[in-house]
Amino acid sequence: MKKTSVQITAKDFDHIVNLARLTITPKDRSIAGQLAQAVQYVEVLDELDTSAVEPTFQVNHKKNIFRDDVVEISLSQDLALSQAPKKHNGYFVTAATIKK
Amino acid sequence: MTDLNKLTLGQALEGIKTKKFTPRELVTDCLDQIKQLEPKLNAFVTVLGEEALAKTEKIDFSKPLAGIPVAVKDNFCTEGRRTTASSKLLDSYIAQYSSTFTRRLEEAGAIIIGKTNMDAWAHGSSTETSDYGPSRNPWNTDHLPGGSSGGSAVAVAADECTVAVGSETAGSIRQPAAWSGVVGFKPTYGRCSRYGTIAMKSSTDSPGPLAKTVDDAALILSIVSGNDPQDATCIDEGPWHMPDRLDSLRKIRIGIPLAYFPKEIQPAVRQAVMAAVEKFGQLGAEIVELTDVLDPKYSIAVYTILQRSEVSSNLSRFDGVRYGHDRSYFGQEAKRRILLGTYSLSAGYYDAYYLRAQKVRTLICQDFDRQFEKVDVIVGPTSPCTALPLGASEGQAMFGELQDMLLEPSSIAGLPGISLPCGFDDGGLPIGLQIVASQKREDLVYQVAKSFEDNTDYHLQRPKI
Repeated sequence: MKKTSVQITAKDFDHIVNLARLTITPKDRSIAGQLAQAVQYVEVLDELDTSAVEPTFQVNHKKNIFRDDVVEISLSQDLALSQAPKKHNGYFVTAATIKK
Repeated sequence: MTDLNKLTLGQALEGIKTKKFTPRELVTDCLDQIKQLEPKLNAFVTVLGEEALAKTEKIDFSKPLAGIPVAVKDNFCTEGRRTTASSKLLDSYIAQYSSTFTRRLEEAGAIIIGKTNMDAWAHGSSTETSDYGPSRNPWNTDHLPGGSSGGSAVAVAADECTVAVGSETAGSIRQPAAWSGVVGFKPTYGRCSRYGTIAMKSSTDSPGPLAKTVDDAALILSIVSGNDPQDATCIDEGPWHMPDRLDSLRKIRIGIPLAYFPKEIQPAVRQAVMAAVEKFGQLGAEIVELTDVLDPKYSIAVYTILQRSEVSSNLSRFDGVRYGHDRSYFGQEAKRRILLGTYSLSAGYYDAYYLRAQKVRTLICQDFDRQFEKVDVIVGPTSPCTALPLGASEGQAMFGELQDMLLEPSSIAGLPGISLPCGFDDGGLPIGLQIVASQKREDLVYQVAKSFEDNTDYHLQRPKI
């Protein structure tokens, strides 16, 4: 196994935390070191020659399954909203993304 | 009659059919067992006692599972009932619709008696990452039951239900079945619909049964399998049919991959599995050593990348807007997985990690294709060890990957497989034997497993709790 040292800097870590929209506690910062370990572990794949290999994204080889473009029975508006913590006039209420 | 909860599915169906007892008596015995053992085992997140009893008043006896009490892993949506995936983020979530798998069970007459504990979001192989506390192994309550479908395995092993439902992404049915001493049947990817199961790694997620016997598991599979328009990745076939059992294994070639017996393997496990291989030989099978199987270490790496990547995408839907709490409710294990997935999919790293892993996945599939030219099924240990003590998974970022190292290759390739009891270690903990076949060959998995079970009595032994 190749022994390279993988570094995930605090800046890298904060970037992926932000991409993943997570909140991190001080205790969670230990994850950064574990990420580096996991990344180092998966470098075992470098031992295999994949230069002429096609990727397999789907094991039963199905792709582009379409259905007819017709309205089907779906959840009622009331049921769809039933689990929402905040709703208003029949809509989900989300956090504001644009400042007034 | 008493102790109806101890019956197998086959025995329970027969007893109800011949009016030896009623579904109400059967459900009552299971609920009594749950009441008595839950303080020790913690197999359930939610028990649906009153609802289950009420359903026994309206049984259609013409249905194939009329009145059978089923325990369902808590990542299957069950309409009108709490569904948490063992995460506090979904603590109060009431499913608005049912998964196809559980809908088909209920339409067949089964009664859901409770939702079982699991590793939160199915992230783990111990049931120790549950936000509702770990489940405990009924053979020794200081030990883990395995996971992620640990609660379902415990519920079956401890006779808290007649049969249970689990889901597997890489080992989550077979590994807890092995550690808890029951049968776990993971079907071909796409054999059973994923619709309504809380998505983890969509490209390998496979729902399936956990049961007391091979026949019980196969019967459930025959009822819930089959194409579902709600899941585009389903195989275009109707329900799977149970084949005839074989009187002899004379025409079966059984492959033993040497790579599935790593040096770290527990001696008792090696011994029990080799004894099983000898038994297959006595039953007439041709035993073939497979010396060139791809090292499982590559599957661990592929699984680690793909699972985290798909998790980071699938769990992005939990935004606390439409249901559940906000993302601050994710536990540390979920955060760890989301972050590694986000990293491997992010700009600059996609080719090096995600794409490379998908290419190695092709090599793993090709390797199985080559092996299945030589043999009909592959047999090996389900897990390299018996159930580990509580606390074993804590702080181990790769715990699940290493526990499931002998299951990840077949999961990545979407193959069907089963784990069934094949012995016990010195401490009385069960040992699991896995049997894997090529895609859509559940018939072979069933026949070889059934033949082993018919000629051994490991499945008849029950834990003393």
